[in-house]
Amino acid sequence: MPDSVISMDKVNKWFGALHALRDINFRVSAGEVVVVAGPSGSGKSTMCRTINRLETIDSGTIRVNGETLPAEGRELAKLRSEVAMVFQQFNLFSHLSILDNVTLGPIKVLRQSGAEACKEALGFLDRVGIGDQAHKFPAQLSGGQQQRAAIARALAMRPKAILFDEPTSALDPEMVNEVLEVMTQLAKEGMTMLVVTHEMGFARRVAHRVIFMDAGQIVEEAPPEAFFTNPKTDRARDFLSKILM
Amino acid sequence: MTGADRHLFDAPGPKAIRRMIIGSIIAGVLAVVALAYALVQLTDKGQLAAAKWLPFVTNLDLIKFLLLGLGNTIGAAIVSLGLALVLGIALGVGRLSEAKVVHTPCAAVVELVRGLPVLLNMLFLFLAFPLAFHIDLPAFWTVVLALTLYNGAVIAEIVRAGVLTLPKGQREAAMAMGLSWRQTMALVLLPQAIRIMLPSLISQLVVLIKDSALGFIVGYQELAAQAQSAALLLNNPLQTYMIVGVVYILLNSLLSEASNYIGERQKRTLSKVYASARVAAVDER
Amino acid sequence: MNELMGVISTLLRAFVTTLELTFLSAILSLVVGILAAAMRVSPVPPLRWAVSVYVRLVRNTPLTIVFFITVFGLPQVGVNFSFFSFALLALTLYTATFVAETVRAGIQAIPIGQIEAARSIGLTFTQVLAYVVLPQAVRSVVPPLASTFIALFKNSSIASAFGVAEAISVMTNMVNVHSTIVLSIMGATAAIYVALALLFGRAFTWLERKALIAR
Repeated sequence: MPDSVISMDKVNKWFGALHALRDINFRVSAGEVVVVAGPSGSGKSTMCRTINRLETIDSGTIRVNGETLPAEGRELAKLRSEVAMVFQQFNLFSHLSILDNVTLGPIKVLRQSGAEACKEALGFLDRVGIGDQAHKFPAQLSGGQQQRAAIARALAMRPKAILFDEPTSALDPEMVNEVLEVMTQLAKEGMTMLVVTHEMGFARRVAHRVIFMDAGQIVEEAPPEAFFTNPKTDRARDFLSKILM
Repeated sequence: MTGADRHLFDAPGPKAIRRMIIGSIIAGVLAVVALAYALVQLTDKGQLAAAKWLPFVTNLDLIKFLLLGLGNTIGAAIVSLGLALVLGIALGVGRLSEAKVVHTPCAAVVELVRGLPVLLNMLFLFLAFPLAFHIDLPAFWTVVLALTLYNGAVIAEIVRAGVLTLPKGQREAAMAMGLSWRQTMALVLLPQAIRIMLPSLISQLVVLIKDSALGFIVGYQELAAQAQSAALLLNNPLQTYMIVGVVYILLNSLLSEASNYIGERQKRTLSKVYASARVAAVDER
Repeated sequence: MNELMGVISTLLRAFVTTLELTFLSAILSLVVGILAAAMRVSPVPPLRWAVSVYVRLVRNTPLTIVFFITVFGLPQVGVNFSFFSFALLALTLYTATFVAETVRAGIQAIPIGQIEAARSIGLTFTQVLAYVVLPQAVRSVVPPLASTFIALFKNSSIASAFGVAEAISVMTNMVNVHSTIVLSIMGATAAIYVALALLFGRAFTWLERKALIAR
């Protein structure tokens, strides 16, 4: 399937005795926005992290752009640079300014010149609405601003897809929307996105497809309308009744 | 596994695993070679001869002699710890005082003493005391007072840090009840600070035990001094000092473990007691 | 007064030896300590074990005993250095354990998220080390290293009991010769120690601020 940016085939992972991922199969096509939902501990975050090999898998295949995820070395670094990641805890480099956070990858990995990277970075920061914060350090920004800077850092790598690992879970409630707005904008522009989140409103409005996970398995996979109005499994119904109350 | 793998290194792929195994084999072989070389050298120079090691098992007088030293080491360390605690609390609280006449001299003493080698304090008592007062200070007190002075200054800083890390609410609550500064310090802050300090105090005992080994320079018969005499008598310095070293290591490891254990246990209970205060403090920022 | 001036100038020369001993052991223990820390966090288990045994053993041994073993033990197996070199060896062996622990703690104190983020933008291992890990570790490591090296400066006085003519050793000799000005001699020695310790403290504070700004 040459068309899928990310694909997983029969992926399994154990944490000791815990079967964290059970026979995971799914695809994300170019330009698609896929939301992964499920109770905490369902393995959705782990699944997201395996795509960048921040977690290893025990069996199965992960492909990015049709290429099997390399195990190590420069090949792995190169593939990682093509699939950017946005973390729950933002993880901006605390010793670098916001601008340097965004330009580090383009300069060191993509080998852009400093001036070019800087110009582009400012563009990305403007796009996420914090162009005026470029010369501050991460600790001086609010959580919402930090997460938007992290999105700019991801965009600067010109990735083929962006993985979002619970991007709003560590934010104060009043800052959730500013981050979701940026993500919605990205989706409209055609970015391929895999989003692990509890924000069901976002899933409903933006996602092309919702994947529901429980106990390490993909239990249900459906377009958002179908998933929210007519979940097929008890587990999904149960989850939705709790989260939408 | 230790933090090593996950922190600096990616989860290893097949090549990395191969490299790790090869590295382990090379390191292991090198260690064995080094150990073998050391053993050959030791045998060559007659350092593994039974006569050099056996006295530590068979010679009761020697064992008693070294145990006496160990007793003196522990004695000096414990007495110094007690006195240093008193001095340290006085200096630490003095440094926290709002009155400048109290605060400044205490700060000066602490900074001054911490800049001096313990050995210099000891030699000062050893050489200058008899001149000034026309009596020799007993070796025990030379060691104890020198250690007390230095560690008192260190403990003063621990006390100060202990009081300063207490949640602000503790002081405010005491003041709000109408307690004076002195009452707040004595009844509310110090007792809590000392409890928090317990692990640091035990670690300080390790420092005292190690520093008391300077006693051999001023003629105090602690473990290092006894070792020196024994090594001369038996003509086996390598063996004596290694065995005495092992005794120190066992004693200090035990104390370090105890300190860690108490520290860990305290962290759990204290986090319960102060949890709400910490959260409040974070919100204020 | 003249007598005291003569003593002080002799003392100052002895402090040069103290400083030589301090600086050389500081540099050596920095090298050994960083190497040991690198081994301690390496993915090769025997290297980790070797360093953790070394650190545990030496940190729990009094420096005096380390001196005894090097100065009197090593000649028994045919290792003969000058007293100065022996002192250098003993101080380095001892101080390097503190450096190793400090550097290791500095590396491990970096939140794992920082490193994962660095990996996720495609930095290679060396790049992660150079652009994210080390710059952050250096900052957290400078203050504790400062205390370690100031302690080393004071610890170098123990070499006086093992044949090195550094400040304390020369002071003791002077006290025996000039018995009328004992207090002045010791006072002068103490004053120089404290002044130098404060100076080092200042220097490290400056360095720390510099490390902070150079982010």
